[in-house]
This record gives sequence, structure tokens and C-alpha cells, in this order.
Amino acid sequence: MKKIITVLVVLAIQSLAFSQNDYPDTEQYTKRLEALNKDSKVNLSSITKTEGGHDIYVLKIGTGNLDNKPAFAVLGGVEGYHLLSVELALQFAERLVKDESSALEKTTFYIFPNLSPEAYSQYHNQLKYERRGNTASLDHDRDGTSNEDPYEDLNKDGVITQMRVESPLGKYTSHPHDSRVMIHVDTSSQSTKRYLLYSEGIDNDKDGKFNEDLEEGVAFNKSLTYNFPAFEPFAGDFAVSQKESRALLDYLFKQWNIYAFITFGPANNLSSPLKYNAKEAKKRLVSSPLEGDVAINKMVSELYNSTISQKPYLQENRGTDGDLFQWVYFHFGRLSFSTPGWWVPEAKKDSTATSETKIKETKVSNFLKWAEQENLDNVFVNWEKIDLPDFKNQRVEVGGVRPFVMDNPPFNKVDSIAIEHTDFILKLAKQQPQLEFHNLKVENLKGGLKRVTVDLLNSANLPTHSDLGERSRWLKKIRIEIDTPKDDILAGNKIELVKKMKSLESISLSWIVKANGKVTIKAGAPHTGFTELNLNL
Amino acid sequence: MKTIDYTSVLCLIIAMTVGSVGKAQEKFFRAIGTPHEPKVEVSWNRYNTYDGVVDIMEKIAEAYPKLARLESIGKSYEDRSIYMLTISDFNTGNPDEKPAMYIDGNIHSNEIQGTEFSLYTAWYLTEMFGDLEFINQLLKDKTFYIVPTINPDARDNYMKEPNTPHSPRSGMLVLDTDGDGEAGEDGFDDLNGDNHITYMIRKSPTGRFIKDPQDQRRLIRVAAEEQGEYEMLGFEGIDKDGDGEVNEDGIGYYDPNRDWGWKWQPDHVQRGAYKYPFSLPESRAVADFVMKHPNIAGAQSYHNYGGMILRGPGAEEDVDTYNKEDVRIYDAIAKKGEEMIPGYRYLTVYKDLYSVFGGELDWFYGGRGIYTYTNELMVSYLYFHKNEGRANQEEELKVDKYLTFGDAFIDWKEYKHPQYGSIEVGGFKKNFSRAHPGFLLEQDAHRNMAFTIYHAYQTPKLSITNVEENNLGNGLKEVTATLYNERLMPTHSGQDLKFKIERPDLVSITNADVVAGMIVEDDDFNKVKEQVHSPETIKVPNIPGMETVKVRWIISGGRNYKINVDSAKGGKASWSK
Repeated sequence: MKKIITVLVVLAIQSLAFSQNDYPDTEQYTKRLEALNKDSKVNLSSITKTEGGHDIYVLKIGTGNLDNKPAFAVLGGVEGYHLLSVELALQFAERLVKDESSALEKTTFYIFPNLSPEAYSQYHNQLKYERRGNTASLDHDRDGTSNEDPYEDLNKDGVITQMRVESPLGKYTSHPHDSRVMIHVDTSSQSTKRYLLYSEGIDNDKDGKFNEDLEEGVAFNKSLTYNFPAFEPFAGDFAVSQKESRALLDYLFKQWNIYAFITFGPANNLSSPLKYNAKEAKKRLVSSPLEGDVAINKMVSELYNSTISQKPYLQENRGTDGDLFQWVYFHFGRLSFSTPGWWVPEAKKDSTATSETKIKETKVSNFLKWAEQENLDNVFVNWEKIDLPDFKNQRVEVGGVRPFVMDNPPFNKVDSIAIEHTDFILKLAKQQPQLEFHNLKVENLKGGLKRVTVDLLNSANLPTHSDLGERSRWLKKIRIEIDTPKDDILAGNKIELVKKMKSLESISLSWIVKANGKVTIKAGAPHTGFTELNLNL
Repeated sequence: MKTIDYTSVLCLIIAMTVGSVGKAQEKFFRAIGTPHEPKVEVSWNRYNTYDGVVDIMEKIAEAYPKLARLESIGKSYEDRSIYMLTISDFNTGNPDEKPAMYIDGNIHSNEIQGTEFSLYTAWYLTEMFGDLEFINQLLKDKTFYIVPTINPDARDNYMKEPNTPHSPRSGMLVLDTDGDGEAGEDGFDDLNGDNHITYMIRKSPTGRFIKDPQDQRRLIRVAAEEQGEYEMLGFEGIDKDGDGEVNEDGIGYYDPNRDWGWKWQPDHVQRGAYKYPFSLPESRAVADFVMKHPNIAGAQSYHNYGGMILRGPGAEEDVDTYNKEDVRIYDAIAKKGEEMIPGYRYLTVYKDLYSVFGGELDWFYGGRGIYTYTNELMVSYLYFHKNEGRANQEEELKVDKYLTFGDAFIDWKEYKHPQYGSIEVGGFKKNFSRAHPGFLLEQDAHRNMAFTIYHAYQTPKLSITNVEENNLGNGLKEVTATLYNERLMPTHSGQDLKFKIERPDLVSITNADVVAGMIVEDDDFNKVKEQVHSPETIKVPNIPGMETVKVRWIISGGRNYKINVDSAKGGKASWSK
């Protein structure tokens, strides 16, 4: 009876999980994580609590000797406003455990559903805005006072949008096709009405800048060591200064088996791969992916595009200073793949538009057009006049694209995106390095001596180490060891370390031993998995 | 009875006083420059283990509660307290609000004497306070934060366990140095059990060396066509894991001086880096302390060796960080240092030493805007007043013959090695060459301390030198205050200004109704920059060294106004009518 109730509860929670109609809040996703944790293949743990008291969770999913199987890390919430990423990571975990657990025979998964829980929670707060920072206090504008100029919801609609002020000094004007959209004035502009454009709020500290020292702290995705933008807003005074970033890195540095990362975040190298830049790649401070790794990226990108139905459009983020995506590759030496998971598609061309106007579609005008074609309402707050003492005798309006809608699809689209991305990750995992022994030969020499020869092959489409990973001390070398005592080995090495095996590369090994009975030859590294050969001499 | 009692007590007191004075007069005569009859007796011709270091620090803090405060700034990897002494005149203001000098030593565990030099500084300042007007004023104006060892674990390992002069260098964390999946499985082995790791040599027909017939300690290379007698086998060790390598995976290896948060780079770019900036508990403890003490304006880190006063940048890629104005300050102080410490040269890390990302001095300067030097202590010059370079074997053999009489060298002795067979073990001890011999320690400690005192002295010192009033009519007055920085260093280094690392200096007027406030950029032609918001507290971005800044208010009323300057690195000053 007890069992049946448990099963029913689990089913109820799971159906609840899949039947929700909006991105989950902290409590909801925590419940889903706890539900997952009931499965024996799953180990849920909190690697730290943030300054604001949120847990940073990791799901370690695997079977058997899971620390010595190649592993993939899947990460969500590197940016707090990117709600989709959390849901994609969660659904990947759920689908993996429920429907795809055969993948665990060869691969272990680490899933970090939300690395910016405090910024993420802003979506569910009374006042909603796209937030990046955690709850640490930070002096973004470095004037000696912290967090003194936050947003204000001037029109009391519960969201932070923009604010425009009619002014001859303005640098913005209306888009000719959609007057709601603000575009930069240029010298060819005919429009006489010009606007100053700000985010919604007042100049609390009277320094002439609006909302330049927000009530939020360090952004996880701007706080890591690769090209760390010291002293910039959201970055902090030095890299990895926050509890969550330290805990994540401390944790990752102990997981020797992680082979590759898939980050759901703003950067993209999946719908189109990164390019090789020889000059940057040869610098001491490597700033282009190395040549062999660009080839891997190309191959994986093809796999992505053949799995994901959405076509690439305007995805310009190839990594930003201090982000996770670039840290993974350039500083941690692991293969790093990143995609936003979804992006605003290109709107269908307007059939009524005259082709003479050469006005470019902006991101916002394209979005609004697409939203209209999709019959999405509630994506724009119409400009409405407000009174603001900061701008006496000037017309001030609040309005603009609602927060979140350009980075996160309507929730009813998420399931299909999650299914495709689950599919992609599992296909990618099948390409992981695989070491195998072949062509074992034992020759009996005179006087009881034996010559053992065997080939070691990496039978996978991916190498054991990326070109950059080969340089890193944080990836183990492939260790080949024969358990015969050193004194009984007359030729050949007891321990041999191999730096890298390319796709389909094999190496020949040979020993002359003075041994009888059982001998074991073992080869591998945690991130490539191990293979063993048991002989009876 | 009573009278007798008093008399006898009095007599006893007189006897004791006279006795002790008499004793001092009889036995000692004051040497200039050294504390005479110090309260805390320390021998400055030997080294101290961690326990010894803590003992001296406790004694100083106990003897001088009004000058010295002992605290732990954090714990090391092996859970030792990292102790700091704060030295200042506690009767003249909060030490955490005075311009401060930070000093540490021993970041590399085998570079031990920085600890003694730091301790000497704390000892000298406390013992000389009251004796010298210069020191009285110095401790009235300034604070010294002194952390003698920021690598206490491996300091003790270096001293107590078998090591070379170069090991461990890192802390006691054990990493997988050879990447074979095991950590620390094949470190040194003290074959002859003398607590020193010296060299192994073996007789071999193909060896390229012979023992010098005139000096058996020395191996010399034979000419190309000659047969030699010995081959070199490296430092004492055994291949313990059977991989055919000796001593390839011991303590560490990582470098605590690659762990700091300015332009930090990972190990595959900068060998020795750990996981991320301040991923080691010892450097994190220092960083946490420094972040909470914006009054630190100058810093010194002690290493060994080679006789250098080093400034950054550590890496060529970071050359632009060190701007011209700041280099001018660096040059002025360090060139004085070259005069104070004969044999030491003022150099720049990346071009004169080697390339370092993530070094301590670069974070202090790049990340905090603090003028910082690293001194490489001990130099050949101290031996015979010639500069023979680092690790000059000829010179070192001569030193041990004529100055230390064989104390530094372990003579070659035969040893049966399980893998190499019959070998000989010997060579210089771990505490020679990098570490000062005892008789050279105190002098060099004093000279290096003098350099840091000069450095500390040149941290900013602010005063309000002049306040002028000008009547504007209508009950309005123009008040112009002149602020003077009496020292070389500005309140904000160029690097600090570039990134706005510290808040501006705040110049405020109280007890006055302020109509407008401004910084006077050119008094002669009345060029001013008005501050519209909160004009009663003018934010001054910087007060340059040896220069003045003028601040002006237009006030109404205000007969008893007061003017205050509050600077993170420049301290406080005030003026009242």
C-alpha cells in the first residue's frame, strides 16, 4: 500500500512537472529535483548556498563505476534572465532518467540546473525585470556607494521596461515601419521627433546617470577568469569572487571524468561553429580555439543542426568576457558547447512593404513582427506618458518590449525544444572517446619468457584530449599499466603515459615478461573511461 | 615597625633599580641603530620555525599592548593560523584609518628569511618607539600590517623534513604533478638520513665529470676528448612508482605566487597556477584582509634570492597597466632603496627576472592600486662585496672554506642505492646559498626594513594648510581650503584612478549653510568645477604627492565651521575656525 502511494505521489509530481504552464519558480524546480533524486541513478546535492540563501544544485546521474566513465556537464541559469536554460537542463535530466537511461551505461552526466538562482527568481517577484546579478552588494559604477541607483517601476505595471523623453538632444527616433521601436538617429534621418532613451527609473543619486548601480550584485556569467573584465559592472573586483562561482569550480576541479560541457546560455557555437584564427591561437594567452578543436566544433555543429529544427538567425554572441562558455575551453581545457536553445526567428517578410525603403529590420522590430505573426500578445508595453520630476516640462513616456520575451519562448514551445536538445546531447555523448584493446598476441620465448603485444585504439569520432586539453594538468593523461612486478618486466614499460589519442588512432604496445598466471593490462583516464585486458599466461 | 618596613621596601627598590642600571652600565654600551636592552630578546642570527615565529609575535604583542596587536587573518591548508602583527601608536587614532604599509614574507616556503626580516621590522619599531622621535612620529602617522609567514605549513616542512634549498616552494597541497592519475607518489628520499636532500653521483666510465683534485667537494667537467669518472644522477631519490622517473611527483607542485587575482592565467599558460585567483587558503586570507583595509597604500613582499627590489608587471602583456606617473613613484622609492641596501638592484619582473601572471605584487598594484615591491633577499655581494651572481659554485665553495668552515657542505659519502647501485651522496645543505648565513642576517634585515620604512613614510600625509575667506556680500562667504599632501605618494595611484578602485577623498564642511561647492582647478584664473549634488562634501578624485588641491564653498552664515578631509589611503585631517 505504502509503495503504491509513493508511486502515485511520484506520478502526480511528475505529471505536475510536465503540465505546468510557465517557467518554474525556485520551489517548483526544487521539487522536481527532489523527485528526480528518488531514482537510484540520480544523486542530488547542493554544492553551496548563495549569499542570498539559494542552493546551487548538481544532479550527478550515472550507474556503476560512474566516476570512471566519460562525463558530460549540462548547465542552465548561467544568466538569470534566461529562464529557458533552467527548464532545458531540468527536462534533459528528467528525460534522461525516465526514457534514456541506457545512455548511462557508457556516460555519466552532471547537471547544474541553475547557476544564478537569485537573478532567476526576479521573474517570479512582484517586480519583474531581466536580472543578471546575485544578492551581493556591489558598487557597479564605482563611486564609493553600492547599489544606490536601482530601477523604479514608474508606471506601476510590475515590469521594468524603458523610458523615453522627447528632447532635441535625443539620439533616438522611431522606426519608420513600427513607431513603437526606437532606433538610433543617423544623419539621413528625416524625423524631427527625437528622444532620450533610458531604462525605467529615476536618477536616485543625482549623478546624471539612470539605473547605473542596480540593486543586484555579481553576474555569474561575467565573473570567471577568461578575459575577466575587472571593475566593470556585474563583474566584481576579481574573478571567481562569489560563493557560487567558487563552489562550482571547486566541484568541477574534482570531477576528473568530465569530457565536455553543454551550456544553455547566450553564447553560441552550435548553430554555427567558431572559426580558427592562427594568430590568436598561437599567442601565449590563447584567444582562438586551436585548429584541431575548431574541426571538432564543426563536426558537433553539424550534428546540432541536423537535430535541431530551428534555423540559425542573428546569433552573434560568440562568448563574452568572464563567461562560462569560454572559461570551460580556454581555462578548464574541456570541450565547450553553448547554445541559447531558442532565439527569435526571422519574421516572414512583410508582403505589403515597399522594397524601396532600405530601413533595416532591428532585433526589436523583427521580434515584434514575428510575435504578431505568431499571435503573441502581451509582448510590448505601449508607450504611455508619466510625470517625472527629473524631466520637468518634458514629455516622458514609459514602454517597450516586456522583459524576458526576447530570450525565452512562450512556455508552450519549450517541450519540443527540450526534446530536440535532449536528443542532441545524447547523440553527442555517443561520440565520446572509447578505448579498446585489439590484436592481442602472446608469444612464448625461451626459458618461460613471454612477449605480449597488443594495440590500443580510440574507436570514437572524438579524440581523447582536445588540442588545448592536452596542455592542461586538469585532464589526466592516458595511463597504460601492466600489473606484472617491475622486476619481472624485461622490456616495455610498467607504466606508460600517453598525452592524447586522436579519433581512430591506435598505438602498439609490447612487453617481454617473466610471468605466469594472471596478468592485467589497464588503459585509460577518468574522462576517457578505462579498458582492461585480463590474460592468463 | 611600620617605618622599618617602608624603609626596607624602599631600600630594596633602590637596590634593584641601581642594581639593574648598574648591571647595564657595566655590561652593555649602546650601539647606534639597534634597540638597547629590548623588552623582547630575540637572536637575529638564526631562523625560526612556525612555533618560534608565533612565540616572538606573542611576546611583542604582550610587551607592547599600545603598539602591537596580534591577530590571525585566516588558516592555512593544514589549519595553522596565519598571524599578523598590527604595529602603530594606538593612542593616536584608529590604526585601520591611518595610511598603512603591508609586509609579508615566505610566500615560497623555502624562501625563509622574509619571515625574520618581517619580524625584525615589528620588533625594531616597537622597541625603538619612545627612543627616536622619527619612529614616534612614524607610528603616530602610519600603520604597519606585518605577516611574517604566509606559508606556515611548508615553512615547517622545509625546516623539519628533508628538502633541497628549492623545495617545497609550494604549500603542502599535493597534486598529480606528472599527470599519471596519482598524486605525490614519488617525492624526494633522504637516502643518508641527514634531513638535507643533496646530490647523487655515481662512478661510471662514461661519466663526464671528475672530482677536482684540489677540492674534492667540487665536480668539474672534463674536456670533450677526455674520459671522466663520475656521472650526475640528480637530487636524492628512488623511483617509487616504477615509472622510470625519480622525484617526479612530490609535494605540490603549484606556486602560491601564481594565485593572485590580477590577469590570472591557468596552469597551462602560467605554470604553477592553481584553480582560480585565491583558490589557496593562504593567499585568500591575505586578499580578504586587504579588501577590508583600503588604508593600505604601500606593500612589500619578501622572497629570496639575488638582491633585487622588484616591481611589476610580471608579464609583458601587462606593460600598459603600469602607467608613467606610477612608475615615477616606484622609481623614486626603489632608487633610494638601492642606496640603502648595497648589492641590491631595482628591476622589473617581466624583463629582468621571468614572466609571471597572477603574482602577488601585480594584484596589489593592478587589483588594488597599491605601490608594491618584492625584494629578492640575499645576494652574493654580502659575502665578499663582489657580485658573482646566483648560485656561483666557485664563490660558495670559497665561502664555506673561509667564512663558514665547512658548515655548509656535506662531504661525498658512499651509499647503496636500490636502483642505481653504488653511488655517492653529498653537496650543499638546504639552508645554504638561498638563506643568509647567520652572521649576515641582521644587517640585511635592518637594511631591508629601512627600505620599507622609507616606503611607508612616503605614503600620503594630508593636512589642511590654509583656509581663506572672501566676503561676497548678502551674507555670503567664499571659503577656500588648501589641502596639502606632504609625501611622495598620491592618495590614489594612477591605476586606482583608472579603475576607480578606492572612493574619492571626501572634503566636507560642517556648521555652515552651503550654497555651492567646487574644486578649484586654477586659482589664478578662477577655473572651478562645481559639484551640484551634495556640495557640502566635495569628492576629490586624487590629492597628488607633494602637491595641493583647493576646494571652495560658497556659504551663508557659518561662524564656527569645520573642514574635514577623509581619504582611504591618505588618512584624515581637519581644520576648525
